[in-house]
Amino acid sequence: MSDINWRLAARSLKRDLRAADVRALFIALVLAVAASTMIAFFLDRLERGLERQAGQMLGGDLVLEQREPFSEELRTTLEQAGFTLSDQVDLVSMISRGERFQPASLKAVDDVYPHYGVSHVDRGNGVEQVASGPPPGEAWADPRLAQLIEIAIGDRVQVGQTELLISGIIEREADQSAGFGNFNPRLMLNTADLEATGLVQLGSRLEFELLAAGPPAALEQVQSLLAELRRDGVDVRDVRVDRPQLGNALQRAESYLGLAGLAAVLLAGVAVAMSTRRYVERHLDTAALLRCFGASQYQLVTIFTLQLLGLALMAAVIGALLGLIGQAVLLWLLTSFLPMTLPPPGIMPLWLGIFTALAVLVGFAGPTLLRIKRVSALKVLRRELDPLPPSALLVMGVASLVFGGLLWLYSGSFSLALALLIGGAALLGLLWMASTLLLNGLLKAVQRLSGGSEWGQAFRLGGRQLARRKQAGLGQLLAFSVTFFAMAMIVLVRGDLLTTWQDQLPENTPNYFAINIQPSERDAFEDAVAPRVETQSTLYPMVRGRISAINGQPPMDAVPPDARGDNSLRRELNLTWQSALPEGNQVVAGQWFSQSSEPKGWLSEVEATPQAASNVVPISVEDGLAGRLGLGLGDELTFSVGGDTITTRIESLRSLNWDSFNPNFFVIFPPGVLEAFGHSFITAFHLPEEEQGLIRQLVDDFPGVSLLNVDAILGQVREVLTQVTRAVELVLILVLMAGVSVLYAALTASRPVRAHESGLLRVFGAGSRMISRVQGAEYALLGFASGLMGAFLAEFATAALYLYWLDLTPRLHVGLWLVLPFGGALLIGIIGHALSYSLRRQAPAASLGLLGEA
Amino acid sequence: MPTDDASLHQPTTDTITASKVPHKQAHQPVLHAEKLSKQVRSGERSLTILHDLSLSVAAGESVAILGKSGAGKSTLLGLLAGLDTPSDGELMLFGQSLSQMDEDGRAALRAGRVGFVFQNFQLLPTLSALENVLLPLELSPRAGETQTAAKWLERVGLGERTEHLPKQLSGGEQQRVAIARAFVTDPELVFADEPTGNLDPDTGAQIIDLLFTLNREAGTTLILVTHDHALARRCDRCLRLTNGQLVPFEPSAAVSGGGDE
Repeated sequence: MSDINWRLAARSLKRDLRAADVRALFIALVLAVAASTMIAFFLDRLERGLERQAGQMLGGDLVLEQREPFSEELRTTLEQAGFTLSDQVDLVSMISRGERFQPASLKAVDDVYPHYGVSHVDRGNGVEQVASGPPPGEAWADPRLAQLIEIAIGDRVQVGQTELLISGIIEREADQSAGFGNFNPRLMLNTADLEATGLVQLGSRLEFELLAAGPPAALEQVQSLLAELRRDGVDVRDVRVDRPQLGNALQRAESYLGLAGLAAVLLAGVAVAMSTRRYVERHLDTAALLRCFGASQYQLVTIFTLQLLGLALMAAVIGALLGLIGQAVLLWLLTSFLPMTLPPPGIMPLWLGIFTALAVLVGFAGPTLLRIKRVSALKVLRRELDPLPPSALLVMGVASLVFGGLLWLYSGSFSLALALLIGGAALLGLLWMASTLLLNGLLKAVQRLSGGSEWGQAFRLGGRQLARRKQAGLGQLLAFSVTFFAMAMIVLVRGDLLTTWQDQLPENTPNYFAINIQPSERDAFEDAVAPRVETQSTLYPMVRGRISAINGQPPMDAVPPDARGDNSLRRELNLTWQSALPEGNQVVAGQWFSQSSEPKGWLSEVEATPQAASNVVPISVEDGLAGRLGLGLGDELTFSVGGDTITTRIESLRSLNWDSFNPNFFVIFPPGVLEAFGHSFITAFHLPEEEQGLIRQLVDDFPGVSLLNVDAILGQVREVLTQVTRAVELVLILVLMAGVSVLYAALTASRPVRAHESGLLRVFGAGSRMISRVQGAEYALLGFASGLMGAFLAEFATAALYLYWLDLTPRLHVGLWLVLPFGGALLIGIIGHALSYSLRRQAPAASLGLLGEA
Repeated sequence: MPTDDASLHQPTTDTITASKVPHKQAHQPVLHAEKLSKQVRSGERSLTILHDLSLSVAAGESVAILGKSGAGKSTLLGLLAGLDTPSDGELMLFGQSLSQMDEDGRAALRAGRVGFVFQNFQLLPTLSALENVLLPLELSPRAGETQTAAKWLERVGLGERTEHLPKQLSGGEQQRVAIARAFVTDPELVFADEPTGNLDPDTGAQIIDLLFTLNREAGTTLILVTHDHALARRCDRCLRLTNGQLVPFEPSAAVSGGGDE
């Protein structure tokens, strides 16, 4: 018997592909699969690509750092796990050429270096990309060092007890994890020469780094070992944890893409639900007839399930292909940002796509399909004997359950999925009631439309038609509302994301940092810079200090085991003092230093008497650092600064934007404490294109001041944002298409009823123009109500989304309340009107079914 | 177990009110109904459509059931074919009690053994003429006998139009397809519900001729619901449905088509 079912299913599917509802169903499924696979493919590859890029920035997939050489045992373990290892040693030492001395930050690399990426080195033939470090006996200097001690390629420099040949000027290192912490100019040498320099001695300040490159599986395998190493005070940097700073914007983009994908799936689901309804209604006769010929209920369900499964499978394959193409386009949009070749698309997203198609089908079509099973054979004799449609509650319940599951799958967060689902369900109930009220109100208002104008009449008639099948109308209203809502949300969120990103990096974002400005140079520097730059941050004083105790205990004992390798404990921190909260910082806990009544400004800063009355100094700590070290308000930190110790108490926690290209500080003291210690100033400013001459002048006038140009990094971040924006727009198009598929499905579903109605109207003497207007009016009313509802929903949901997911501040979107209702009326009116064109062309006898089986 | 005569042209004793069939027969009746009742709820009151109705149909017999519209002809047909369940009473189809079976059991009993011809043809719009005829075959053990289906289409005069969709066929042609479909499984029993109701008199007459010819050739039992006296007269036996019961009836020779009684 079963092959009968297959054959029947296959045959009717082939025939059915011509039917509008099956086409709508098919398109909706294809879109759902395309959207989800495209985004899954893309995110999957991007994720892996970013990891690799992060690995490049970091110098490896896993970087270990400590003060002593690494044991053979550890090396063996890592190698066995599948890692390739590379050794690196960092130290600061004086180097000299003739009479000129300069402290330099030495970086000794081995022959494996670098694991990823290339360095940009000028070896006498212009800047080349080099995938290695200097050979033994040679060294590469960065341009600043070259300038400071006036060396050129071919010169020899004294490093410790040996001499090295400068064979290249290194413009950019393959691994760029250094950041701003390192103010000394760079000299890169080979580890083979380290011994000869005599710099590696007991007690010298060396950082041994072990850079490991390997597959994610290897990283997974050594996780417990890493935790152990962290507890032992080893600085462990894991590529998956230590993302580059760009991560923030991209993470939001990922969230957004995931969200958009889900919106597309939801919309497609709605379209599937609507077209299934029509599909089932159309097949009730078939089912009854089959029943009459002796088919069992089981057989009926099998036949139609097989048919739909076939449909879903075809849709999944086509959708997945479209998804593959789509992700290629997405990647192409992002290519200049992702210069490395991305890993090829995995197979997982494909399964995900097929799974999504099936889930959407089961969730959104399942309960409706069961209606076929309940059809009575008697229907062949008495047409009115349709089985009751499944309760709306059941349909929505199953759909929400499945969609909730998909939410969970895609977002990876059960609580988020559950919250969205419960919220969604409550909202839907509310929405149903609200829609009923809205529709009733609207219909009443329309009936009161006075005047015998043709449009007035059209609206009255259209309204009455809508009122006649209010339940169906309500269903459509809900579907359209959800569609408008999803579309609006995707547009709104996109807009707000972009605005936020642009606000984050305005035109005048600082592109230069000036470091190491001595107190004596401060005023002169300020005078030189201020008139010629557009924006300039405050000049922050900077004192180097180390955390020597936490609540009276050694830091290593006081912090959570995982934080023992944290850089903040191993290195000196840059401390500053400020009387006012720096721009862009927000106090998230506690109180900023109590405001004194004296006027502020640097004058009062300088003249303030040390607040040493109580010897515990209040400080403000960045909340991320506090979180990592397990610190809270009231905890006491002891700093050792230049040989002295200062005991402090955390009085406030601040959040700040690390991507802001402004000087940021982990720890801020009040004025009057650190002034006595040796300090320098740091500032950031935006130098306009036409003022580049200032740099030459600053270098000449303030030779001790280091100037860092961050234009390149800034440009890269901007580029990423632009490209991500384009990717986001591409996804937006997909969501809009899914929205249109809902409209198509809905209009297809209600076509027979409308055909009947327009036929009747025509029989009663209405002209084409009248009928066309009545139809337009009905759709427009529906669209208007849906738009209103969608606006309400979108406003509500974006606010929630911003607060809990995307970290943006909610705001009211006024335009939304205008665009959605009127746009909705126009859109649905026009599309509905256009889709009804063929109905209007039909002879009334045909629409009324007088010509036999239609 | 009441049995019935299998003779074709001799009306058996009509079991109108009596529940017992007086004379013994060699064969089981194809269909035997006893004290069937059907009530439906219409709003608040219960409406009795059929009341203590009994009927026995012998194999090979053709029976016409006449009645005014609204008399419950379709309800009766639905009950007799096992498409619906009676409120009370017993119905045996092919010697098996339908009340003992569920929906699926009754469907399985019908498969391949019962054919239907409907007033509104009931062809599936997305299937070709041939596929429509194949449909009941595929639900029977004789699945895939395309040749059989094609042969039947030929017999109803549509051998050239096997690939046409219903909408490409005229009403009469559609009903021919339906008739081919009804006979394709070599059923023991064919139900026809107003088979000419949607057709003009000439076409209707052709359809009737076709129906009776095929019925005679195949030796099938035929139960025909109609209000067309001319049509009814061609059956072995005529019954009229009034007040929820069947009474023997002699259709007037004068009235042909459209008459209610």
